[in-house]
Amino acid sequence: MKKEIAKFTINDRPYELLVESNVTLAELLREQLDLTGTKCACGVGECGSCTVLIDGKPTLSCSTLAIAVREKDILTIESLATREGLHPIQQAFIDHGAIQCGFCTPGMIMMTKALLDENPDPTEQEVKEGIGGNLCRCTGYVKIVDGILAAAESMGKEGGR
Amino acid sequence: MGEELTIVGKKVPRWAAFEKATGAARFTVDFKLPEMLAGRLLTSPVAHANILKIDTSRAEKLPGVEAVITFEDVPNKLFNPNKMDMCLFDPSGELPDMYVLSDKARFVGDKIAAVAAINAGVAEEALVLIEVEYEELPAVFDSLEASNPGQPRIHDFAKNNIALTFPCLANRGDVEEGFKEAHVVVEQTFKSSKQHMCQMEPTTCVADFDASGRLTIWSMSQHPFLHRRKLAELFDMPVGMIRWKTLHIGGGWGKYGSFVAEPVCVALAKKAGRPVKLEYSREEDFRTTETREAHIMTGKIGVRKDGTISALQNKVVVQGGAYFTHNSNATNVAMGCFASLYTCPNVYEIADAVYTNIPVSGGCRGYGNPPAMWALEQLMDMAAEKLGMDPLELRLKNTKKVGEFGPANYALETSTFDDCLRLGAEKIGLKEKRGGRREGTKRYGVGMAMFMHVSGSIGATQHRNVHLKFNEDGTVNLAAGCVDLGQNIHGTISQIAAETLGIRYEDIIIHTGDTDTTFFDQGMHASGGLFQIGNATVKGATELKKLLFERAAKMLEAHPEDLDVKDRWISVKGSPDKGVSVADVAKDAIYNYEDDHNHLAAKGSYSPEDNQPPVGASFAEVGVDTESGEVNVIKLVIVCDVGRAINPQTVESQLEGGASQGIGYALTEDYTINPETGYLEADNYITYKIPGAADMPDMEIIQYEKPVSTGPFGAKGVGEAAMVPIAPAIANAVYDAVGVRVTDLPITPEKILKSMEAKREKI
Repeated sequence: MKKEIAKFTINDRPYELLVESNVTLAELLREQLDLTGTKCACGVGECGSCTVLIDGKPTLSCSTLAIAVREKDILTIESLATREGLHPIQQAFIDHGAIQCGFCTPGMIMMTKALLDENPDPTEQEVKEGIGGNLCRCTGYVKIVDGILAAAESMGKEGGR
Repeated sequence: MGEELTIVGKKVPRWAAFEKATGAARFTVDFKLPEMLAGRLLTSPVAHANILKIDTSRAEKLPGVEAVITFEDVPNKLFNPNKMDMCLFDPSGELPDMYVLSDKARFVGDKIAAVAAINAGVAEEALVLIEVEYEELPAVFDSLEASNPGQPRIHDFAKNNIALTFPCLANRGDVEEGFKEAHVVVEQTFKSSKQHMCQMEPTTCVADFDASGRLTIWSMSQHPFLHRRKLAELFDMPVGMIRWKTLHIGGGWGKYGSFVAEPVCVALAKKAGRPVKLEYSREEDFRTTETREAHIMTGKIGVRKDGTISALQNKVVVQGGAYFTHNSNATNVAMGCFASLYTCPNVYEIADAVYTNIPVSGGCRGYGNPPAMWALEQLMDMAAEKLGMDPLELRLKNTKKVGEFGPANYALETSTFDDCLRLGAEKIGLKEKRGGRREGTKRYGVGMAMFMHVSGSIGATQHRNVHLKFNEDGTVNLAAGCVDLGQNIHGTISQIAAETLGIRYEDIIIHTGDTDTTFFDQGMHASGGLFQIGNATVKGATELKKLLFERAAKMLEAHPEDLDVKDRWISVKGSPDKGVSVADVAKDAIYNYEDDHNHLAAKGSYSPEDNQPPVGASFAEVGVDTESGEVNVIKLVIVCDVGRAINPQTVESQLEGGASQGIGYALTEDYTINPETGYLEADNYITYKIPGAADMPDMEIIQYEKPVSTGPFGAKGVGEAAMVPIAPAIANAVYDAVGVRVTDLPITPEKILKSMEAKREKI
């Protein structure tokens, strides 16, 4: 397998990594960097669990070759909480009981970030459509939608983050 | 009780929510050990075949391959992966008919061989190099066909592929007499489907033998203690040589009530002499692991002129697939629920568990109750129509009263069926909306279904334990052997402990997931967790509080019985200025060098003396497009008597989640098997469609609270309840809308159009 040294910015930190040409971004994150917050539930791009942001856009990391996103800015779930505390989306998910088993949660939260970055004041319908590609088997989505709407409200008050 | 509760009944954050929200929570699939190998499975591509030869030599020679195993490398012992035989008082029902790896393929997906290699890529490459020579045999996929004479035999011992014939334990009276008494009799065959659990975490297991030969296993098991014993028996090891650990688990709903990856993983680790992580792909998870129990039920109901039920009959064919697993237990529950929802003097049910060459059925959320209600709650509506009685009235005529018996065979302490039915009917607007509003090609309707489940199982060891100890700052370590798959059992028992001890929720530090450091717990099934472990926690925390008060009494020069504790402060009744903090007492117990060093620690053990069922009703409003056949659920109302909601947000989310699985079961989840090849066609999230956010209707969840004296703070178990009534409520609503009844799950647009066509032809 062909190997290359590639540069990435992952969670605002610079990385220079030896990458095999067939390695997916999810594998790179999970296996090479031990950033296991990003989950793979289906491995073939059907469930949204592996969603990360690449240059701000939501992307399925299980179906993206790592080498194809060299030089890009990659954000995973591990980037959201800071020393100051949780991201408002994370806080809203906890407050609204939007997390059960928690396996879809990282992908769901990253998708929410992308959604709210693009549309800070979504309607309930826009939220449901926005997370339409992210499957959850536990919650029935009610509390996730509540959490996202609450996050939008609190971020609006804070003037965005 | 009687006093004001400060933590029980409150919405507090779920257990581990912070770790899960930040990505820090480690699941089994995230777990790594040094030197760990990647395990991969080889499964059968054909539905029925003798294996003439397996040549693993090429795979073994591939650099990086550390172990290849076949049937020759696993215990030569038949077993049943379901744990129930480890806890049942009478385990004879669950048949052992499976080997860890098989020398005969009985379905597409049957486990044939496995590889451990330095990484997943090498392991997958090695699988291709294993040469298996199959001698294909004729196969049978239809459970009704399979029991006809002359069909291919799947297991030598099972004549006509009937593994077991067994009657319902709740059979009573004389149904023939009962049907004679009836004014109307309705008989109908219903077919339920092999719903897949679709837990989001792919099935994963890690196994590691240390230098002394002691095995540590990290798996997604719902029953670490029972599975540890089962594994010990299977591999001829002393139980003490196995340590079973659980990490965060990405859902389960009964799948991990059976062994899934564990035995193969252990056999690989044993042969390789290194730790192995065996991970299933999503496709393998669909194809190879157990699904929901699936039944073909010919149900019959007799109703007297006054609306009382005179007889119920149900003949069940269990679509068990290629191996037995939970067929006996899940079907017994199904028949028991069918027999016990309503008052009825005459009941006869009998089941045939039939082998076919399709993937294995197990037990999934509701465990027999959803298929049973799919039949019974439609029969009720059919009988009501024939009798000319409102279906709500018919149900109200037959609900069980206090003192009658629930499915777990305990007398009901409360009966809230009528309240739940009336409340739900009002919320959905049953009267106003019934009869089908029309709008263009759309027809609208409403329907209902009632349910009663259990708060634990019967006839089985239900033993639970917790232990608690105070730290010197007044925090408490609560150790329990239960498993949290997302249902928040760890959070709710922490609330119970904090409430009982008079400290705060955040003072409880829970420790779980390790058979070495927790006492026996029989595991998570039958919605029994909260009822049983909650009771063990009340007992343990009450004992700990007694020790706390004894020491505090010495410090305060008071009598223990005069003490009170609230929000970490112990006071003397009637002397408001006299008191001591819980932390100071706890510190004294450890650091008072003059004293007896009696550490504040206690154990709570519980075995059920009772089991009060969650009961209620669900109501669905649907729109049906008469051109496309598509069903759109507009609104769901679920009223559930939960006893007491320990954490109302957790209860609500259990009911919402159950409802979403119910919607999928009713409408879209179609475990399609090719009728020619036995090949599972729905092996991914595109072809097997679980509900997405946009598929969810407006939901109104009503937690009806009527505490029961035997539940912890009055609570009942609600983990499975909402899954049970959704599909029949939707089916009844569809009938109200378009006048056709789909009797085999799921209710697809094609089936609706076909039924409507057939109805038009009749007219």
